[in-house]
Amino acid sequence: MSGVQVRRPLVYLGVGCVLALLSLLVPGSAGGFGTGAVVAADPEPASTGAAPPLTPAPRCTGTRDSLRPTGPLPAPGAFPAGGAMAAIVARGRLVAGVDQGKYLAGYRNPATGDLQGADIDLVRQIASALFGDPAKVQFVVLDIADRAAAIERGQVDVVVDQFTVTCARQRTVEFSTAYMTAAQRILVPVSVNVREVDDLAGQRVCTSRGSTTEDVLRALPLHLDVVTLPGIPDCVVALQQGRVAAVSSDDVILAGLAAQDPQTRVVGRALDQARYGVGMSPRAPDLVRFVNAVLERARADGSLAASQQRWYGSLDPAPRPAPARYRD
Amino acid sequence: MSVDAPPTAIRRGVLPLARLRSKPPLRWRSLPVAGPSTPARLLRLGAVLVLGCLLTAVLSLFSGLSRQAATEQGHGRATELTEDAAELYRALADADAMATSGYVAGGVEPTAVRARYDDDLARAADRLVHAAGELAPTDPGRPLVTTVAQQLPRYSAMIEAARFYNRQGLPLGQSYLGSGSALIRDSVLPAIEQLRRQQTAALAQDYQRGGAIPFAVLLVGAAALAGLLDAGRRERRRTNRILNPGLLTATALVLLALLWWVGATVFTDVRLSQATRHGAASTALDDARAAVLQARSNESLVLVARGGGRTSDAGYTARLDRVLGPGGLLDTASAAAGPAGALAIDEVRAAALGWRDAHGQLRALDDGGRYPDAVASAIGTDPAGSRAAFERLDTALGRALDEQRAALDRSAGAARSALTGLAAGPTVLALLAAAAAAAGIAIRVREYG
Repeated sequence: MSGVQVRRPLVYLGVGCVLALLSLLVPGSAGGFGTGAVVAADPEPASTGAAPPLTPAPRCTGTRDSLRPTGPLPAPGAFPAGGAMAAIVARGRLVAGVDQGKYLAGYRNPATGDLQGADIDLVRQIASALFGDPAKVQFVVLDIADRAAAIERGQVDVVVDQFTVTCARQRTVEFSTAYMTAAQRILVPVSVNVREVDDLAGQRVCTSRGSTTEDVLRALPLHLDVVTLPGIPDCVVALQQGRVAAVSSDDVILAGLAAQDPQTRVVGRALDQARYGVGMSPRAPDLVRFVNAVLERARADGSLAASQQRWYGSLDPAPRPAPARYRD
Repeated sequence: MSVDAPPTAIRRGVLPLARLRSKPPLRWRSLPVAGPSTPARLLRLGAVLVLGCLLTAVLSLFSGLSRQAATEQGHGRATELTEDAAELYRALADADAMATSGYVAGGVEPTAVRARYDDDLARAADRLVHAAGELAPTDPGRPLVTTVAQQLPRYSAMIEAARFYNRQGLPLGQSYLGSGSALIRDSVLPAIEQLRRQQTAALAQDYQRGGAIPFAVLLVGAAALAGLLDAGRRERRRTNRILNPGLLTATALVLLALLWWVGATVFTDVRLSQATRHGAASTALDDARAAVLQARSNESLVLVARGGGRTSDAGYTARLDRVLGPGGLLDTASAAAGPAGALAIDEVRAAALGWRDAHGQLRALDDGGRYPDAVASAIGTDPAGSRAAFERLDTALGRALDEQRAALDRSAGAARSALTGLAAGPTVLALLAAAAAAAGIAIRVREYG
């Protein structure tokens, strides 16, 4: 019992060392006595309200004409009960889908914060005919790709936004008669030697997402690298930053951009012809006939031509009002 | 275990020592610690006890240094970077809000708005330079800071282009503003938020390391202590003497070293738990501030687009729900901060509810076709408007955050002071214990000389 014993202290130390080594190796033992859990980082909510994707539709060609007005324009406020116009008047304002970046057509004047342009004039005329007051309008700024969908979901009564009448769009949108014609061309920096779209083969060309110009560009046998952005002005920003070689859109839109940046110009042949109409819901044929009546009057009294002269007068060639065509 | 063991042991010990001159090749046998003799056994016992004390000293030194490093680094680097990231986020989100609201107002932006934008960018640059200096070259946060530094000049260039076009009365300005805003929202702010999360996680990890149970030190120390106790007990019985002062001193010193460790660990852990809780509260409040700034940006964007485009008020509602909802960020902050911080967080909640109401009225105005009134609520000075309510919320959030950050500093500071001397103290005690154990055994061995 009284012999000097090395064994036990040695065993203690051995066991202690082995356990200590284990504690260093096992990662789970790093926790403290009562260290609180770290607040989990929850992911950001996804951005809402994304534009609906374009649904590929079977090819359709040719457009149908619009609906003929029923007689002369009624007096403001005097509309048949239960109709679309009566509903708008009851609401107290016209809800119009427009653009605020299309210089001369529909744009926000940065100095006043007000929307103005040829398309805005037309909206005011429709409001005038409905209320006798051009100010009773609520503007909703729509992305190019969202125009038809905004009509379909009832967010807006009318879309007046250089809205080209196409067969595909007529599946969900009833257009008024065309109030203006335009031709698709290209905008390039003045410093580059580009005269035609053919000079851009293989290069990056920008246009707005969901526009008819996009399809036209892709159909060209030039292997263009088509870049699409939410609006044409975004394309001009890209052009100024050297990220794209050219911008393609309708000549009136491009002319508005060239007017803002003297270092750009509109060139090339017409790649496509476009007719602009006021977009409305097919469920409101009475509203379509009413807007066509407003357009008839504007064509007849010269106010349509005057508005277009006021905004587009400096363009060469200046666009002209389009004649009305009806399917009855 | 016979009672007459000592004489036998002595005889046995002498014999191999005598033999060693005739048989030199067996070197182990030639050492004085070899063999069954009592002095040899004592020497072996002494070696084991000294080894135990020395191991305790070494482990104590390394654990103590690692803990001090953890809390100091944790406190110095990660907290500063977390704050840098949070303030950088706020400065840039505010700069963008200023640029957007200057635009929504129409005309040339007011001088005050312009000055605040410039000030925001200056503060952002300040924070960015500081954060870059804090980050080690291999830190995963470095690419994020680089992203911010690369995008910031691009952003301010776009805002300047927007101003230029606005002054010309041309709508191209709004495209530049939109592109700049999108750059901040989609690439700069997410990078900053990621940086903050990284640093928060690193901080939590450091605190966990700093407050962990020191298993290695405690186990080896306890083994050394058990060895010393066992040896002391046996020596007392074997020699019928009262106590061996060397072993007794060594035992006491090792015990003291262990108690030092336990005490420091318990105190540090309590303090670090507090620090972690305040850190969690700060994180929740930082998240809340980011969500609120995003909601404010969403409010402006919906106004800019007049309710159309890719914007919708759902973005606002979702973010405010994240802040205010049950189990939301304010609930998390409240729970983590405890009763002491509850008052400031309740003020935040009240201000957030007030802003949500004001925003609801703004939306009603806009949806009711009264766009100019809605704009006035968003950017005007009416105390009932959305802007005033938002600024009250921002101030309340800033106050609550400052409170939590100060509490975090205090707890982390207390934890750090508890670790003062943890590397040196127990190590010196264990070294002294080794010396005492050696001395205690040496006295016994000498008795056989």
